[in-house]
Amino acid sequence: MPPNSVPNTLEIVNLRKVFGSKAGGVVAVNDVSFSIARGEVLGLVGESGSGKSTIARLIAHLYSPTGGQIHLSGQPVPHKLGGAALRKFRRHVQMIFQDPYASLNPLHPVRYTLSRPLKIHGLAEKNIDAQIGSLLERVGLAPASTYINKRSFELSGGQRQRVGIARALAASPDLILADEPTSALDVSIRLDVMNLMLDLKDQEGLSMLFITHDLAGARYMSDRIAVLYAGTLVEIGPAIEVIDRPQHPYTQLLKSAAPKPDAGLVPEEIAARGEVPDLKTLPPGCPFEPRCPHAMSECKDGLPKMYGLGNGHTARCILHDPAIVAKRSAVGAGS
Amino acid sequence: MSYLLRKLGIFVFTLWVAATLNFILPRLVPGDPVSVMLAKYQGRLDPSAVDALKIAYGLNDLGSPVSQYFGYLGNLLRGDFGRSISLFPTPVIDVVMRALPYTLGLVGITTILSFLIGSGLGLYSGWRRGKAGADGVVPVALFLNSMPYFWFGLLLLYIFAFQLKWFPLSGALDPFPGDAYSASWWGSLLRHATLPVLTILVTSVGGWLITMRNNVISVASEDYLAFARAKGLSEGRIINRYVLRNALLPSFTAFGMSLGFVVGGSILTEIVFSYPGLGYYLFQSVTNLDYPLMQALFFFIALAVLVANLAVDLLNLILDPRIREGRA
Amino acid sequence: MTAVIPGAIPIPRRAWKNTSLGRFFRNPRSVFGAGLLLIFVLMGLFAPVLTPYSPSSLEFDAFMPFSAAHPLGTTALGQDILAQFLYGARLTLLVGAVAGLLATFLSVAFGLAAAYFGGWVDEAINTLINVFLVLPGLPLIIVAAAFIRGGGVWPVIVVIGFTGWAFGARVLRSQALALRERDFIAAAAVSGEGPLRIIFVEMLPNMAGLIAANFFGAALYAVLSEAGLSFIGVGDVSLVTWGTMLYWAQAKGALLQGAWWWVALPGLSIALLGTSFALLNFAVDEISNPKLGGGRLKMPRRTQAAPIAAPVAGDALLSIKELSVGYLTPTGVVRAVREVSLDVQPGELLGLAGESGCGKSTLAFAATRLLDPPGAVLGGSVRLAQHDLLALSPEELRKVRWKEFSIVFQASMSVLNPVLKIREQVYDAMQAHGVTDKAKLDARARELFDLVGIQMQYLDAYPHQLSGGMKQRVVIAIALALEPKLIVMDEPTTALDVVVQRQILQEINAVRKRLGISIIFITHDLSLLVEMSDRVAIMYAGEVVELAPAHQLYAHPAHPYTQQLMNSFPPMTGPRTRRSGIPGKPPSLSAEIVGCPFFERCTKRMPGVCDVKPLQTFTVAENQTAACFLYDPTVPSEIKDSAIRSSQTPQPEVSREPAHTIN
Repeated sequence: MPPNSVPNTLEIVNLRKVFGSKAGGVVAVNDVSFSIARGEVLGLVGESGSGKSTIARLIAHLYSPTGGQIHLSGQPVPHKLGGAALRKFRRHVQMIFQDPYASLNPLHPVRYTLSRPLKIHGLAEKNIDAQIGSLLERVGLAPASTYINKRSFELSGGQRQRVGIARALAASPDLILADEPTSALDVSIRLDVMNLMLDLKDQEGLSMLFITHDLAGARYMSDRIAVLYAGTLVEIGPAIEVIDRPQHPYTQLLKSAAPKPDAGLVPEEIAARGEVPDLKTLPPGCPFEPRCPHAMSECKDGLPKMYGLGNGHTARCILHDPAIVAKRSAVGAGS
Repeated sequence: MSYLLRKLGIFVFTLWVAATLNFILPRLVPGDPVSVMLAKYQGRLDPSAVDALKIAYGLNDLGSPVSQYFGYLGNLLRGDFGRSISLFPTPVIDVVMRALPYTLGLVGITTILSFLIGSGLGLYSGWRRGKAGADGVVPVALFLNSMPYFWFGLLLLYIFAFQLKWFPLSGALDPFPGDAYSASWWGSLLRHATLPVLTILVTSVGGWLITMRNNVISVASEDYLAFARAKGLSEGRIINRYVLRNALLPSFTAFGMSLGFVVGGSILTEIVFSYPGLGYYLFQSVTNLDYPLMQALFFFIALAVLVANLAVDLLNLILDPRIREGRA
Repeated sequence: MTAVIPGAIPIPRRAWKNTSLGRFFRNPRSVFGAGLLLIFVLMGLFAPVLTPYSPSSLEFDAFMPFSAAHPLGTTALGQDILAQFLYGARLTLLVGAVAGLLATFLSVAFGLAAAYFGGWVDEAINTLINVFLVLPGLPLIIVAAAFIRGGGVWPVIVVIGFTGWAFGARVLRSQALALRERDFIAAAAVSGEGPLRIIFVEMLPNMAGLIAANFFGAALYAVLSEAGLSFIGVGDVSLVTWGTMLYWAQAKGALLQGAWWWVALPGLSIALLGTSFALLNFAVDEISNPKLGGGRLKMPRRTQAAPIAAPVAGDALLSIKELSVGYLTPTGVVRAVREVSLDVQPGELLGLAGESGCGKSTLAFAATRLLDPPGAVLGGSVRLAQHDLLALSPEELRKVRWKEFSIVFQASMSVLNPVLKIREQVYDAMQAHGVTDKAKLDARARELFDLVGIQMQYLDAYPHQLSGGMKQRVVIAIALALEPKLIVMDEPTTALDVVVQRQILQEINAVRKRLGISIIFITHDLSLLVEMSDRVAIMYAGEVVELAPAHQLYAHPAHPYTQQLMNSFPPMTGPRTRRSGIPGKPPSLSAEIVGCPFFERCTKRMPGVCDVKPLQTFTVAENQTAACFLYDPTVPSEIKDSAIRSSQTPQPEVSREPAHTIN
């Protein structure tokens, strides 16, 4: 990075989280590294248990990491944070949760929910209702007076998620961690919530981590996409490239499994069988090896490194190792 | 097996807490219990009883409270609870052993019976919820459950023993019941036990009913029940293999947890009927300020409840495959 | 199409009846309990007014009978029994209330601390709770109180409070643990809230119901414990409580003297006071735990549809005719399915799509008679092969179920009984329909497992040993067990990961082609459905708004809702362009809907037509129908054209109606 450029909003290096005791621990996040530039949306894609939510909660400091570093706008974030330092950190990193039914306290009206971040971070002005009103209007809940006294059970799913977004915006953060923000919503309102997030990003120069299991949604929302499998980052690159030309067999599998109504009416046969392995019994080498249609003996030798494919696109698969490519083509020619 | 180890750990730990409470409580009293007792018995105490008392409370022991405590625990492990003051010089352990079978027979069997009857009624009330009969038993159960045991016992005693003379007024056996385990002996035992059994049954059945009813209602809204009905299973099979198997598990847990309370209350029943079990002697020891006996009785009541709890835990282990694998 | 149901009451918004307080006052148990408690409180408060005597004066003769001066006679010591009884209420209530409060306070403090701090604090508190739970309470109190003689009522209160907290702490701890996992706690933490505010403003108010229930439970325990203690003479017997009255009555041989009321009255009052606490505990529990709640609702009779003489509509396997289904709420009927007619052909996979609350699951459940109260079929008929499903007796229905049609539920994670082996759950479906031979059962189970791709060893596993995908395969295997003609699949793969979802869909597809069974496949994922189905029905607000062969629906969606819904899925290929969803939300199903239910959100709406005319279904093309007036030949084409033209320009934000949830 050139010395004078704006530092990345988020930079995580070898982030690691082990749950449980040291002996019987489960490695939920295995040395994951990526960065998010200012004004960028990084889509984080993976199936349940891949560690994508854990990563968001590590960055949000809801969990403390077992290892690795987190840098926020160039500043290192200590593993242990508390009191005033934690509060100050919270101003910069906010979160949007999956289920808007669960992420709003049913007892509190919208006014209370939105006034808290303003008050906690010393941003409240004399006329706090006006501040809350403008927040509500920014997320498309106009007129604000209709919503400010409502409690969550009086709102529809889409409206609740908009309140959740307004809460995240209240403290004017640099980074928003959106953990499957649309998967609990009805199809017809998902796009509007995604569009709202894109508009806010454009208007305020926010950086965003957009977590999802839906490849099409990630493609729609993200500048770049990172793919996780069993706690390990397997592929990262520009969004269109990763989806249109996936380079890791797992990403290819995910793509072939997604519904494609235009591809004909017979479901496409997919190559891999089996399910995501138990994190306790991961194989020593590539975690995807047991299911991979291209698996070979070298895959068991150890976790492959990330191979650069140009244009910032990298994949963790030895199929991109020149030595392996040469060997395979030799075998292919010989047979 | 970590489940069982854990439960055993809690068993030992709780027993230790009970023993330690026994040790600490008398020492929290302002003044010393011996002088309180001396005042009460006003010199009518045998001098050797006074010595025994002093030994029991470590008043002769000039060692630190810590060494007293370990001495006390040692005696406990050897089964040495000292001598009773009111029944001097009978060793406390002899009194306890004489009383224990009566309590196990009366309170133990009746509690299990009450659990079975209550759970059966609860199953009915929960499964047929919405019907007048099934819903109507709820307030009745709550009322029965709110009656003081001893009061209901007194009423039974007054009506059936005192007025109608159908049953004996007190005790566990006639003065001359015949040979042990003979027909007349059993008859005498059962006649004496009828009213106490009825008392415990009526006053504790409501609690089990409510517990089971709530569990059944919870299970009734589970998806696996809808699936079982969709499969076209017969109602008998649904109730037996789906509702009961699942609703019983939390009921067992509740049984274990409430046992301390229920047994504690049932024991008071013995007082009303002068039934010579642990509760009756506990009452006697309280009125006579027989502290060594009182402490030993509390310890044994706690032990009995703890053993019963351990049995419930074992039963859970057998019935719930999730516990068997340490998942729950 | 939308007929008014006689007797349907519109649901008033935010009805007072729906608040917790409202439910408290409508629950007969809580009303009775509160009334009983009030009587006792008033008795204690107005004791000086109700009796001229002091409860402790010994000025009268012993064992006086009933008289005008002494309505309940006197005690062996010459006290007025009525005065004792009235004044006794004071201390008895005091012990119940204060010891109950103390125990509840300790329960809340320990339960919250354990749940919030977790780790070793939780371990320690949990152990302490377990110890106090199994220690027999009353004997402990007796022993403790024996050492603390005299000293008035307070030592007793303190001892009862300190021995009675464990049960509540256990319940509150587990609720607090569950609350702590809720996202709104994480959200508050991310906002920057400190631990104290999270505990006291976010968590504690959500536990209010349980805390109140716990208080009444603890008060019941306290009153009974005090009575027991007083009765055996532990504590301060010089005080006047109902417990000490019993002590003196027993000590002075009241029953032997025939003064039975001296014993009966205080004991009965303790029991009634305890009952009032227990009723309040029960009612509060019921109100705050909706699973236990639910009173009796009067089920309406199904309006008889025109009798179906012969098997209907050509060769349809399943024929649903004008089926109306509603949910009965205390405030009115929510009409979830509105006169829907739908056929399923033999061997066909019919997709049923729509947003949550559109009635797609309700339709399937009602048609297969699996709808639980408060859901009820209000009218219409369902015929499967030769059976009139809605007219079958329970036993006839039981026999038809699974043999003729089976169901795969949405929540397959929890449809298997956790305490039975998989084998038994595969077997019992077959056993219930006459297959009892062990060898046959085993062979069929193996065949089924092979069909859905599970290893045989899992037959002897318990459900919790299987992954989500395997459980769903087991459920599909069970659904296939008797080779039914029809399987209803309600979001069978929604909870699964995409890869597993795809594998299972492939298996479903292969199996149905092999066995020639019909499937009704319900999902909100339209793109998936288009790929899978032969025909697709789109539901909106309880109506089928479009029905067409899948390829036809995908290529030429007719209804504006279908068109907008199709556009709501971001594409996997091609350039990235902004798309828009469907603003607004479906109308409330508890109100009568005039005209088209999609009118408010429609980009091609025709005011004066769509919101006025009763909804009708029109044929758009061969095999394609849509409930949309754009296809109504009687509507002038100028109106249609101008509506379609205006849809090109952005629509103003439509009014958002208040949320209405069915569950």
